[in-house]
Amino acid sequence: MALDPGELRLVGAGMLAAGLTLPLLPGHPGLHCPLRTLTGVPCPLCGLSTSVEDTVRIHPGDALAANPLGVLLVALALCLLVLRPARLALPRAAIPTALAASWLFELHRFSIL
Amino acid sequence: MTEPPYRPPTYQPPAGTGPSGPRANFGQRLGAWIVDLIPLAVVGGILYAISRPLVYVAILVGYAYFTYFEGSASGQTIGKKLLGIRVINFSTGGRLGYLRAFGRELARILSSFLCYLGYWWMLWDREKQTWHDKLATTVVVPESAYPVEHWPN
Repeated sequence: MALDPGELRLVGAGMLAAGLTLPLLPGHPGLHCPLRTLTGVPCPLCGLSTSVEDTVRIHPGDALAANPLGVLLVALALCLLVLRPARLALPRAAIPTALAASWLFELHRFSIL
Repeated sequence: MTEPPYRPPTYQPPAGTGPSGPRANFGQRLGAWIVDLIPLAVVGGILYAISRPLVYVAILVGYAYFTYFEGSASGQTIGKKLLGIRVINFSTGGRLGYLRAFGRELARILSSFLCYLGYWWMLWDREKQTWHDKLATTVVVPESAYPVEHWPN
């Protein structure tokens, strides 16, 4: 599966910038999960903003406890920004597998599984 | 003078390697959304200042705004026009029409439901479609590759 490295660099830079700045803003704004708000059940991306914020502040334990996918995303974003690959491809199953693993982790974290 | 017949764009990527034509990227779509949000936030703020329950009217104004502009012949909101992108019907290459545009707006609820996963989806989707694009059978494309005068009626 071919991905656009330029587009992902932009998103990665935005994610790192948000991770650094959001905790400094008044009220610490963030994205709220509609599924979790309405039902109490987390989604595969729940905990990611906390995890990214903790990773960029070098708090790996807290980041891994919130969602290990956030640590991986920060590492990938840094690789994209530093190495600047011209092409990028992932196995077709990589993203569905990562989302499924993340969801299982969150369901366990919220004591649903 | 009769208009020339519709001809689809000539760009064809190698089989199995990418989208079936040029697509708007994430930055363009996000930029357009931010531009569109400014007038809607102003309207929402005014209505909220007048009376708190009027915020529901502001939500309806938002739906009407996107439905009207994206369902129009150009398929462009103000933000999309500024960023040089437009929404088209993926099946026909033509305009969405108001019904499909409204359905696409409703489908945004689903795209938002799992921490906005339906929006992030375009980053790895072959046709760079969000979930609401898939449900409404639409794609967002650069205006330069899909100029309005080439559209069918």
